[in-house]
Amino acid sequence: MKILVKNFGAILNSRPAGREAVLAIKAYLTPPTHDKIELDFTGVISVGPSWLDEVLTFLYTEYGKDRVTCLPTNNSSIIESLKIINKE
Amino acid sequence: MKTKTKSQLVDFISVNGEARPAELANKFGLSPQIIHRHLKALINEGIIESKGSPPFTQYVIANQPLFKNAFDWFAKNSDPTLSPYVSETRDVFSARLNHFIPLQKQGISQNELSLIISTAGEIGNNSFDHNLGQWKDVPGCWFEFQLTSKFLWVLVSDRGQGIYRSLLRVLPKLKNEQEAINKAFTESISGRAPEQRGNGLKYVTQVITKTSNRGIACISGNGHIHFGNLGQKCFSALSKVSNNNMGTITLMAWGLK
Repeated sequence: MKILVKNFGAILNSRPAGREAVLAIKAYLTPPTHDKIELDFTGVISVGPSWLDEVLTFLYTEYGKDRVTCLPTNNSSIIESLKIINKE
Repeated sequence: MKTKTKSQLVDFISVNGEARPAELANKFGLSPQIIHRHLKALINEGIIESKGSPPFTQYVIANQPLFKNAFDWFAKNSDPTLSPYVSETRDVFSARLNHFIPLQKQGISQNELSLIISTAGEIGNNSFDHNLGQWKDVPGCWFEFQLTSKFLWVLVSDRGQGIYRSLLRVLPKLKNEQEAINKAFTESISGRAPEQRGNGLKYVTQVITKTSNRGIACISGNGHIHFGNLGQKCFSALSKVSNNNMGTITLMAWGLK
């Protein structure tokens, strides 16, 4: 199942906004069991580590790290955010 | 810059932030023609630059941001004047990050823009994360950016509790404001524990130090820090701020290609 991140906004920065996104994902997204969950960042302008950390932490906890993938992107803010999150 | 008059003009502009030719003519008792000749020479030497169109042209020191109002707002002991640059809530601040988008027309790449927005966003959101219910007087943060011929300058400041007081709750052995600001920018630590967070400023540091044309300086109480090749330049600009022992002020510089 693919999550189009741009549907949450073009600029995604804060933890409260990340938590809002998590609530929406919980309410509306029900991936089939064992289905991979792919985050597609196409069309997003900027993502900060705070927003991404909130969303990924939830997805990893809920569905397991192996099922969650961030699709490749050229967006520097996402690349740098993932570096800092994955360091933790 | 050889003449005494030109030095005086530069000093005046530097102290006041900006000046109009008529103001300079009055101040130094010189004719408008002579003032314009000196100003033109100073522009050719790269010392000053003009802003705006006649008859409202102002002259400023080249490649220096002009944040006088922001500095005054930050430094005032109490009841600072209202300003449209102040975002009273996080929602207002987040919406204003969109103001960066038109910078693409000024030659800033999409990738650079994504980093400018995300770093400014992390710094501004910190103001709200650590000061909600703790503001000294005015809630929110001052958020402003300016373009000079070679740099984009981004300023975020708040009249909150400052980094030291924010971290003291989770690090009671913190010695002073300098130690607090060092830890805030270099370690994954947050005054919002037990929440798992504290990577925002590390992200900012990582992005700023990644290439040579970026810099950041931050002052909180008596603590200060700067990173990146343009960090010293940012710190020099912030040195004009009177220290009010409250809140935090951060300035980033991004070199324009």
